[in-house]
Amino acid sequence: MGKYSEDPKWSDIDPLPTDEGGPNPLAAIAYAEDYEETMSYLRAVMAANELSPRVLELTEDLIDMNPAHYTVWLYRSKCLFHLHSDLHEELEWLNETALQHQKNYQIWHHRLTIVDALGEECDVQGEQEFVARMFEKDAKNYHVWSYRQWLVKRFQLWEKGELEFTEKMLEEDVRNNSAWNHRWYVVNGREAEGVKGVTDPEIREREIKYAEAAIAKAPQNQSPWNYVRGIRKASGTELAALKPLAERYASVERPGTVRSSFALDLLVDILSEESGGKQQAGKALDLLATTYDPIRKNYWAYRKSQLGLGSIETAATA
Amino acid sequence: MRSRISHRRRRNISFPQRRSMAAQNNQEHTLGNLLREKARIVEIDGEEGFDYAEHDTNELNGVPFPGSHLKQTVTGVSIVPHYLQTATRNLVHDDLQTVTSETQAKTTAECLPYVTGKDTQGLALNSHGLPHLRRKAHAEYLRGFLGELPAGYAAMDASRPWLFYWCIAGLSFLGEDVSEYRERLMETVRPLQNASGGFGGGHGQFSHCACSYATILALTAVEGLEVVDRKAMWHWLGQVKQADGGFRMAVGAEEDIRGAYCAMTIITLLNLPLELPPEAHARGAGLQTFTDRLGEWVGRCQTFEGGIAGAPTNEAHGAYAFCALACLSILDTPHVSIPRYLDTQALVRWLASMQTVAEGGFAGRTNKLVDACYSHWVGGCWSLLQAAFSQSSATRDDFAAVTELEPSELWNPAALIRYLLTCCQQPGKKGGMRDKPSARPDAYHTCYSLSGLSAAQNLYIYENGITVDAESGRLTAAFNWLAQRLSPGKAMQELGIDEHDVVECVHPVFVVTFDAVMRAKEQFAKGGL
Repeated sequence: MGKYSEDPKWSDIDPLPTDEGGPNPLAAIAYAEDYEETMSYLRAVMAANELSPRVLELTEDLIDMNPAHYTVWLYRSKCLFHLHSDLHEELEWLNETALQHQKNYQIWHHRLTIVDALGEECDVQGEQEFVARMFEKDAKNYHVWSYRQWLVKRFQLWEKGELEFTEKMLEEDVRNNSAWNHRWYVVNGREAEGVKGVTDPEIREREIKYAEAAIAKAPQNQSPWNYVRGIRKASGTELAALKPLAERYASVERPGTVRSSFALDLLVDILSEESGGKQQAGKALDLLATTYDPIRKNYWAYRKSQLGLGSIETAATA
Repeated sequence: MRSRISHRRRRNISFPQRRSMAAQNNQEHTLGNLLREKARIVEIDGEEGFDYAEHDTNELNGVPFPGSHLKQTVTGVSIVPHYLQTATRNLVHDDLQTVTSETQAKTTAECLPYVTGKDTQGLALNSHGLPHLRRKAHAEYLRGFLGELPAGYAAMDASRPWLFYWCIAGLSFLGEDVSEYRERLMETVRPLQNASGGFGGGHGQFSHCACSYATILALTAVEGLEVVDRKAMWHWLGQVKQADGGFRMAVGAEEDIRGAYCAMTIITLLNLPLELPPEAHARGAGLQTFTDRLGEWVGRCQTFEGGIAGAPTNEAHGAYAFCALACLSILDTPHVSIPRYLDTQALVRWLASMQTVAEGGFAGRTNKLVDACYSHWVGGCWSLLQAAFSQSSATRDDFAAVTELEPSELWNPAALIRYLLTCCQQPGKKGGMRDKPSARPDAYHTCYSLSGLSAAQNLYIYENGITVDAESGRLTAAFNWLAQRLSPGKAMQELGIDEHDVVECVHPVFVVTFDAVMRAKEQFAKGGL
């Protein structure tokens, strides 16, 4: 006998046991008794479309056993809204659950639904702090970053310490690409609404300087190189403006001094846009293919063919 | 002497790197090439203690190669490739330590003994000194999941369809007969199908795009699609289509690019009408079909890095790159639909950068770690991208003329194969494949490692053909792919594999075998509901 079948509160429910489809199901899970029982009560209440406080308890129980159960989350939120439940309380419970199940995916969509409904009643700063705490455990958690973006947009946090937050994250780990992506979002996320990001010369200058400083700390870090390339493209400005930066870390004339393969790659694109620069670009590609990034030899050879140059020359550095 | 051009792509298809015959001949007759050929012969003979660095082309050409004095001698026939040589790996190195660089260093240290062949974990080696693919052990491992699973698997109670798919598809990639699972699978998924359409993760669970996708593909693999209520599926998909063009994963759930790829796969395999059902709320925003605004929505997922995010403005991620390219490859001919919505040059740069040094496999994001599952998610992008770059049409005749294959020219398939065979195979009795050596094997990594192996080994080309079926209105571009299994010869040698290590051709868009895709194409040729 189980928790629910013995509880008079649930005596009116006829549980719906798992239908395995046949005598010989594939990948059949030998459910623990309590899990099977709880699920059979959930099936029954869902079939009756019951939305009640006891259903909230039931879903809480199931989420504790299996937080990846998307149906339970979706049904729970339906129930919460139907009952006009205290969403602050829900958030408190979510905090504990999120910290227990770091990798869980569904919880963030649920949180978003709750916080969205709370609207101006939500302690936004508390949300920011909670998210920051999640990053202490995993600073690259995809769903948490995605939630953070939503938070910024929903509560218009663009200029409320968010840029500083990315700085703090990148101070801790300049290679955290998720933080770079968030920075991009904070700077450029309102272009569609007419608030300029890197299309504004001042902001562009500031962002390039920021990336340059990051590159100086660790030149062989792909993130800020991608960032400066992105700025160039989004703003439609000349790649040539990045030449001094690229040349600080890579040179075709002095191949022994290359400190970043990403700088060399950038130099290729800059040189190939210069009149008469194609041959030099080809030499830079040879250097990448033979010396500085040989695992991508085929890719560098492809780039060379795109420039109308021949195949990779192994003697390029001579 | 072997001809160098014999293992370049030789066919009348325009590939991005295709060079003129004159250029190839010119290259072929250089001294460097003559010597390199000699070096290859030594490699084939399997001379003990062969020193690769001594034969390195840089040195042969008199190039001052930094650190070339640090020659690395390997035992056995396995030759440590250039990119793995200590001197190469350490050429550009930053002193600043952060969590990212520390975890990367740890992963490299964990993999290095295996990828360099210093530790073979007692695995049987092929004629190139790499571990053989453990076909039997991996097949047994996957079959194990299709039986009864212990209570702990309740954590996967909402994703059981994935288990059906990973195991059945994985077995078929190994060339195993999966038809024996037909009846059982059809029975098992019956309670997962909701009367209102679609499949959930289990009995009594809401319908979900990922669960429906996995169920449909598993059923496709065993020829059991008649169990699907197509009409109800069409109605349900109408509920998840969004006004902005994308798809939610379930009613009330998140909208992301998986939804777009999963939904279009289901619609195309089952030949569901492209028109939205009358009750679909997206109709209220002026949309009429499932494909309306879809390409634009996918395009919005490309980030400043060039890669693709799960949803607009999120971080670029390898799994989503595959979803984007495969989704666009369903909508139209890849060289039409992919460049229309994506900056392909930025994407190819980003994808190429995902191959990690020194492991040779793929990471899923910038500055993240190698993981075998991206062998499929990133590895599976290349044939789609190559089709996007291909301007002229390929025909069956061109394909038949291919005698020797080199599976790809934009990335490094040999390095991926080396990673998968040396680092990702679980040694010992159990079998299965894993993310990286310190991880346990699982069905997910086994399936996608095998799919990645196929991407690295076999050749896939898109044959220009009909993209919309005149009678049923079905999108047919994704059915125009041709595949050729890697045949013995030079290419195998370049990739470091024997015939025993070759997996079956995996469909570049639908990720099941070609036979299975063709059967689904035939089964629902008429369309309608």
